[in-house]
Formats: sequence, structure tokens, C-alpha cells
Amino acid sequence: MADLKILAVDDSPTMRRIILNTLKRAGFTDVVEAVDGKDALAKMEVDTFNFVITDWNMPEMDGLTFVTNIRKSDQYKTLPILMVTTRSVKDDILEAMKAGVNNYIVKPFTPETLKEKIDQILAG
Amino acid sequence: MSKVINLQDKIKAELMDISGTINEIVESYKQLHSPLVETQENVPKATEQLDKISEQTEAATHRMLDTAEMITQREDEVIAGLNKIKTMAQNKELDTIDTLCDEIAQKASDNSNDAFVIMDALQFQDITSQQIDHAVVLLEELGIRLHKILTVLGGEDIASVQNITPSKKRAFDPHADLFDKKTNQSDIDNLFAKK
Repeated sequence: MADLKILAVDDSPTMRRIILNTLKRAGFTDVVEAVDGKDALAKMEVDTFNFVITDWNMPEMDGLTFVTNIRKSDQYKTLPILMVTTRSVKDDILEAMKAGVNNYIVKPFTPETLKEKIDQILAG
Repeated sequence: MSKVINLQDKIKAELMDISGTINEIVESYKQLHSPLVETQENVPKATEQLDKISEQTEAATHRMLDTAEMITQREDEVIAGLNKIKTMAQNKELDTIDTLCDEIAQKASDNSNDAFVIMDALQFQDITSQQIDHAVVLLEELGIRLHKILTVLGGEDIASVQNITPSKKRAFDPHADLFDKKTNQSDIDNLFAKK
């Protein structure tokens, strides 16, 4: 857990703060923020992450496009990705699965759910 | 000759009728134009107002988050301090202080948990912000349409307003809802379990 570097991608500053505080409480302290997919890709070019938490609806580059992009990269083909979004329509969830997310949480979420999904993904 | 006069009368009557119809159309246009102008003026105001709600809700939410973060920090310090007192009290065998410290530590711990409950509840801001963004986009589209209608009614070329676009790029889920999730978490978990 200590060496886990998380990239938290969400266009809402409020959500980023909530996610950061929830992660900190769960013991994940090494977290970098990005405001959308484009910003996240730029941060991934200069830094190495071993976990990504991403929203879907974001300006410039949405979460689905971001996930599709990073799955094309050899370096990040197996990078654990958790999508945290308001989109709860089943077809959207299936589309996110197809794009390559490892798990999916619908907002609003509880800290327990976030921690549980991170643990599940890390356990493989 | 009388036939020509008769025809002139008929034409005159027809022209009078057409003139009356045109007057009615002009009157209708006058009646239509005013509310359309008002609507076009009001839509940007509504958009501005909704944007303000979004910004102010965001600011208020951050103030609450600041408070919640401070409570959490203070409570953690209280818990750590009380644990030190507890050790000291145990060494001096002061049982009453020991029990009291346990109670205070529990209360402080509960406060810390409650602060996190507040923080979780603040996720509403992201959801309402998306709902507002949706409303803004709808109003902006309406405003653009009305602007085009007024341009045509004013006799101007529609090409001059054809490329009007919304002022800001907005990303939102039109179905975002605080309470109504179309698929619940256990069903999502089942989908991923089958993966």
C-alpha cells in the first residue's frame, strides 16, 4: 500500500478533494490529481503511476477516451483502473468494461466501497 | 366599359383583402417579436444565474470541506494527546483519569468519523453541478434558436448567426442523480465478476 502511487482524475475539484481525503484515510497517501483525460495523459508522460481512479464526464478528454488511450500503450496495458462516475446506465458500464476498466463505482459512493474496490483490483 | 369597371372593383376588393391580411400578419409579428426579444434577453440571464448557483455551491462546499478537514485534523491530535495522558495516568495508577480518557478518546474518534460523513455527503455538489450544466446547455440551445428566429424575422441573413456556439464547453451526465442509480453497485459487481 505504501508504494502505491495513485492518479485521481476528475474535473470536479470537490470530488477530487473527497477522493483524496477518502484515500488518505484508507492509507493511500501518494496521490496526484488531474482535471481531465488530457491532463492525466500529460502527467503519465512525466510520472509513473500504479493505480488510476477516473471520472467519465470531463471536458477536453472524457474518462472513456482516456482509458481507451492508456490501454493502447504497452506500458499501461495492465495498469489497474477504477472508474468512479455518476453514469449508472447498464450500457455505459458495459462500454467502460469494454474500454478496459478493472472496476466501476457509481457516485455517490461510500469510503468503504472505494477502499473495497481498490483492494479487490490490487488482489487481482 | 361596365365590365372593366366591374373588374377594377373586384381587383380593388381583392387588394383591400390582401392589405387587411398583411396588416394582420404585421400585427401578429409585432406581438410575436416582443416576447421573443424578451425571451432572448432572459435566457442569457437564466444561464448566468445557473452558472452562479454552480459556482456558489462549489464555494460553499469548499468552505464545508475546509471545516471538515480541520475537525478531522484536530480530532486526530486530540486522540494522540489523550493517548499520551492515558499512558501517564496508567503509570500513576489514576483509574478515574484512565476511564475518562477512554471516553473522551471515543468521542473524539466519533467526531472524526462524523466529519467524514459530512465529507461524503458533499458528493451532492458534483451531481447537482452536472444537473445544472444540463439545464444550462438546454437554455443555451434555446437561446441560439431564438436568436436565429429573430434574425430571420428581422430580415437579416441567417448565415450571420449560423455559427453561434455555446459560451463554454460542458461535460455532464444527463442522468446524474443523487438518489436514483439505474444500476446498483451489487449488479455492477456481478457484471465485473463475470468478466
